[in-house]
Amino acid sequence: MIFGRKNRKPITIADKKVTEWKYTTCGYCSTGCTIEVGINEKGDAVSCRGAGGADVNRGKLCIKGIFEYEMFDAAGRGDKPLMRDKNYDDYQTASWDQALDKTASEIKRIQTTYGRDSFAVISTGQILTEEFYTLGKLARGCIGSNNYDGNTTLCMASAVSGYKRSFGSDGPPGCYDDFEHTHCLIAWGSNLPEQHPIIYWRLKEAMEKRKFPLIVVDPRVTMLAQFADIHLPITPGTDVVLQNSLMHVIFDEGLEDQDYINAHTNGVEEVKALVKEYDPVTAAKICGIDEDTIRTVARIYAKAPAAMGIWTMGINQSTHGSDGVVGINNLALITGNIGKPGGTSLSITGQCNAMGTREWSGCSGLPGYRTLENPQHRKEVADFWGIDESFFPEKRGLFQTDIFSAIETGEIKGLWLIATNPMTSMPNTTRIRKILQKLEFLVVQDAYQDVETTQYAHVFLPAALWAEKEGCFTNTERRVNLTNKVKEPRGDSKADFWIFNQMAKRFPNGAKIHFPETVAEAFDEMKELSKGNGRMLDISGMSHEKIKENFGLQWPHREGEHDSKGEARLYTDGSFQYADKKAKLIPLPFIDNNEVPCEQFPFWFNTGRVIEHFHTRTRTGKIGNQNKFSPTPYMEMNPDAAAELNIKHQSYVRIVSRRGDAVVMVQLTQRVPNNMVFVPMHYHECSNRVSLGLLDPHSRQPAFKQCAIRIEHVDQDKAAQLNLQRRTY
Amino acid sequence: MNSTNKSAINALQNQGVTETKQADGSTIFSIRPNEQAYAKLADKDIKNENRYGQKIDLIELTEGNLPVNRSMHINENPEVGTNPNRNKQHGFHFTADNCIACHACESACSEKNDLPAHISFRSVGYVEGGTYPAYKRMNISMACNHCDDPVCLKGCPTKAYTKHVEYGAVLQDSETCFGCGYCTWVCPYNAPQLDPVKGQVSKCNMCVDRLEVGLKPACVSACLGNALDFGVIENTPERREQTQTTIPGFPTPDITHPNIRFQQIDDMPDEVSRTDSMPIKYRKDEDGAFQTIVDKKQDLETNWNLGRLSSRENPLVLFTLGTQAVIGAFILLFLGDAFQLPMITAITESVMYLPMLGVLIAIEAAGLVMSTIHLGKPMRFYRGFNNLRHSPLSREALGVAMFFAGVAGHAFFSLFDHGVFNWWGATAITDIVPWVPTTLTAALAQGFGAFGVVAGIAGIYFMNRIYRIKARPFWNHWQVATSFAGTVMSLGAVLTGVVIIPSLGIMGESWTALATVLSLFIIAGLLIEGIGLFFHAKYLNAETSEGAASHYIQKTTFGKTYALRNCLLAANILAVSGLTLSGVDGIVAYVCLGLIAASIVFCSLIGRALFYVLVIPTTMPGAFFWKNKAFEQHARDIGLANRPQTGVAPDAH
Repeated sequence: MIFGRKNRKPITIADKKVTEWKYTTCGYCSTGCTIEVGINEKGDAVSCRGAGGADVNRGKLCIKGIFEYEMFDAAGRGDKPLMRDKNYDDYQTASWDQALDKTASEIKRIQTTYGRDSFAVISTGQILTEEFYTLGKLARGCIGSNNYDGNTTLCMASAVSGYKRSFGSDGPPGCYDDFEHTHCLIAWGSNLPEQHPIIYWRLKEAMEKRKFPLIVVDPRVTMLAQFADIHLPITPGTDVVLQNSLMHVIFDEGLEDQDYINAHTNGVEEVKALVKEYDPVTAAKICGIDEDTIRTVARIYAKAPAAMGIWTMGINQSTHGSDGVVGINNLALITGNIGKPGGTSLSITGQCNAMGTREWSGCSGLPGYRTLENPQHRKEVADFWGIDESFFPEKRGLFQTDIFSAIETGEIKGLWLIATNPMTSMPNTTRIRKILQKLEFLVVQDAYQDVETTQYAHVFLPAALWAEKEGCFTNTERRVNLTNKVKEPRGDSKADFWIFNQMAKRFPNGAKIHFPETVAEAFDEMKELSKGNGRMLDISGMSHEKIKENFGLQWPHREGEHDSKGEARLYTDGSFQYADKKAKLIPLPFIDNNEVPCEQFPFWFNTGRVIEHFHTRTRTGKIGNQNKFSPTPYMEMNPDAAAELNIKHQSYVRIVSRRGDAVVMVQLTQRVPNNMVFVPMHYHECSNRVSLGLLDPHSRQPAFKQCAIRIEHVDQDKAAQLNLQRRTY
Repeated sequence: MNSTNKSAINALQNQGVTETKQADGSTIFSIRPNEQAYAKLADKDIKNENRYGQKIDLIELTEGNLPVNRSMHINENPEVGTNPNRNKQHGFHFTADNCIACHACESACSEKNDLPAHISFRSVGYVEGGTYPAYKRMNISMACNHCDDPVCLKGCPTKAYTKHVEYGAVLQDSETCFGCGYCTWVCPYNAPQLDPVKGQVSKCNMCVDRLEVGLKPACVSACLGNALDFGVIENTPERREQTQTTIPGFPTPDITHPNIRFQQIDDMPDEVSRTDSMPIKYRKDEDGAFQTIVDKKQDLETNWNLGRLSSRENPLVLFTLGTQAVIGAFILLFLGDAFQLPMITAITESVMYLPMLGVLIAIEAAGLVMSTIHLGKPMRFYRGFNNLRHSPLSREALGVAMFFAGVAGHAFFSLFDHGVFNWWGATAITDIVPWVPTTLTAALAQGFGAFGVVAGIAGIYFMNRIYRIKARPFWNHWQVATSFAGTVMSLGAVLTGVVIIPSLGIMGESWTALATVLSLFIIAGLLIEGIGLFFHAKYLNAETSEGAASHYIQKTTFGKTYALRNCLLAANILAVSGLTLSGVDGIVAYVCLGLIAASIVFCSLIGRALFYVLVIPTTMPGAFFWKNKAFEQHARDIGLANRPQTGVAPDAH
């Protein structure tokens, strides 16, 4: 003790008295961090820590993971099933049997009255893979509606579509270890430090050990853009033009890997012919990146011994989302950058189990990357499940976004929403409200009773949350990791797995198909279904125990590969999933169909995410130590533009589009250009009141990030009250 | 450091041991399985002295007065940590170029220390500059810097702070703290956190439990940008090259010699601004260093904002003004009596003297209650005298308490030779206790009175010292002394007049002579205050930093209020002078004096309230919502703060 102190003051440091650390995988994004949840003597979850031995996060966690234990007791959890006849009645609590019986009978009534596809199921990327598989059995095998899709249409559909178009199959070919080997990384519309902070840290570690050029394509000066060696502040929605122009330079200067193209791809001539039109001089005028920079980037990328492209919503959420993904794949293919360390085309996935739903829920086809269009696949699954193969439709039904249109037009009369909140997440909120109101029957299954969509529901099924149950998630790099049950579900809420099993019992096919009682048995079924010669999505070598022992295993991981941790990369042999084993190079003509700024609506409206929140804030909005960093909606706006309109920092304004309006607080910053504003998408009654969300022709994913708005003054007191009123959390 | 230990450490260093010994099985902190290298302390060579010439070995610094292998008794655990460098001054290293503002450090800290949303030991803010797309944002993560010269420790009246010879950690004991918040005033980095809900301060504890087992603090281990690091001070972390003492937005290290070093190599724009409401930005000077300048965020429009004069410090406005008035009045009466000024002895020897003392005692008692209410934990008020050695607050508290005792004693012994109005005569008490000699009581009354005068003056002096804080440039000027001394004279005279003149009037005695003397005191007091304010404004106009920012707010947000106070001050001086010179007498003068007295009190209230609300501390830049005063106020105003997840504590009153 210094400064003449004689008496010792007690040193008291908070001790949460953790008696046990339980193994889980994070339930927020798709990075796939292993989290150990600290349990105290009373069995309460009181702490979270990263697992030191996990390869993905190596002991690190982001803000969301650090406070994930607070999610269990966050406000708004549902603990009793709720029912009502009309959506204007008050909810009454019900028993599970009552709620499930009513739901099943309503599904049957609607299907009998209007046809099998008139009842739709929209699922999520948030529940466990075994649950997805079970839901797939229920939706495809028992309910038998072809209008069954996931909310992944809002986030990764373009990546899925682009992968399928280029490589013949979904499945990100790269991994985080590629950062350690790459010599050039282009991040397309991906803000890793904010959206995938742990992946960013892996990238930063790699760059600190061995510097390589980082190129960031983003209209906004994100932290990643600021750290980039070259930042390309692109005109929104014109990524395809830039990609075509980069290819133009690569072909023009002979920088392509001709051997790789010859050996492993089809379609190079068509692509060459198209990109001829996209010389940098022409392209610069459309995409806003000058011709010299385009050439420089093309050269750095093509000359790198290994180069990779990563992307997130900046590409996916656009009218050219699928094309943008194909463009990134094209660039990788023509330079031979697929399937080699540091050379890849890696989508940075959004939800914790977006991959799981793509792999096993059968929402876009049948489990295990099987398609409805393939008779062999239909037979395999029908036989395995023990039902008549003719029960399956021969063609995929509607995508999530089209399901809403079909409700609008009256083709669909009933809907089951599982862990998704279209009232906040879908573009054009007012339209979605009208649509949900039209439903004869809406059942919402969610961990949160206050999820906004329950306003229009007839039945609410309270689901258990994240580590209140057991099962697997697959992450961005195809790593399957385990979540253990850390504590009992809140109140009378039940695991989604149990809910699906109970629902299956209420349909005739539920008696024919085996619905195992345990998650592990469901996993075994998936393993069986994943076997097969040349099947890429093979998990037959995995088990829950082995997954935990290795902090996750990557697929393909085949039976008998005892010492393996799975394959880090796909297509290492240049053999793709098309019948001829070759990847497809696809020409990408650019059609400018965006709603662009005009005299009436002079600003680009750009949306995105912030680190402290996840999706529609049903979880993060209630955890003070996260929510406090952005407790209320705001808008980044350029100070020069604001000065012209006499708009003050930290005042409220009204943003108006052709769809509607929203009130936001203004944050003036040069991070955004003069003619653009940025609004985080997490808030209810905010960005999606104005967004347009034109659909991508291939993936049906909405373009959340491109539309036009104007900014109006608003009475400050009224705006403040409205801001408060529009959200209870 | 004893020689065995020293050689043991040397031996370790000679062997090139880069990591501290694993402390698996320690009961101080349980190390997680497969702990990664980034979380482990890795100091190889250690310098002898830091850049300010202070010994890094804290045993050497304290000249071996304390033993080496001493237990820190963390949570009363007697185990001694295994960290071989536990007696070296440690500090943070922050690579500002790398911070991504991901909040992982703050979150890991809040998680470990189980903090509610409205409190955080570490905060991330930012400065930004440039023009799109040549835009640059520099994030700053800041907690306690465990300074060489911990002003918090010195300022704390309760002695809640200790700087330990283990790691040089400056630790605070919340259970000792009584929540006066003085440490939060003196710290230039906003490290101590006053929790308005709990009513006590808490702060970064350097994760000494982790350090004891060789782990870096939780915030450092959690960092996702590779920005935050920790180790023995002056050491350059792996893959880093700079150990600067400052970055843009960081207050001058001269105040406290903070134990933090920086790396900031990436080019910065010439000017960077803050997104929070502080009217401060930073501009590069010729040497490339960033200087604090005023950011005129709300133009130059002048306003009243009278409502905003009311603040958390309201009790202090009343306490300081009341105490100054009472001390002034008492000195005036006591010394006037001692010097046998006739118009004063006319009071002190009269039947009004004891009631007058009663009024003084009542006001002072109310003032003391005010200053106690201001505490987060009023029941712990008695701890205010714990730190007489360092804290001006302790000394002021002692001074005022002794003054109170002096006046009380004086009043008590004056009972023996004073009557009260026509209730009882001068000998009423001595008639009851005739065996008490009046010479003794008179002497005791004089003794207590003299003691009270001395204690009162000392109290006012230390009251002034309280505000001479380097981290609060608006206050750190001699104007505080002139303001307080001026108030002692002006309000002291007003108080005397307000009590005595009406009494004299009622009793039909002449009060003109007294009024003239009091007027002279008032004029002198107001002039002293005015001169101080004049030079203060002159100093602020020449200033560029937070002091200038305060002045900018004074001239804009409170522009009209400020002008009113200045005009009133001048008007009051003129009015008192005019009235004295005019020789107006009788009821007219009586009414005029009454009005002037009210005006002086009103002016003092505005002035003192301005003094508290205007101060802008040298804090770290905040973010748009978090650590943004204007947003906090907005959240309270609209009711958002009533939702705990907003992270803003609602107003207590």
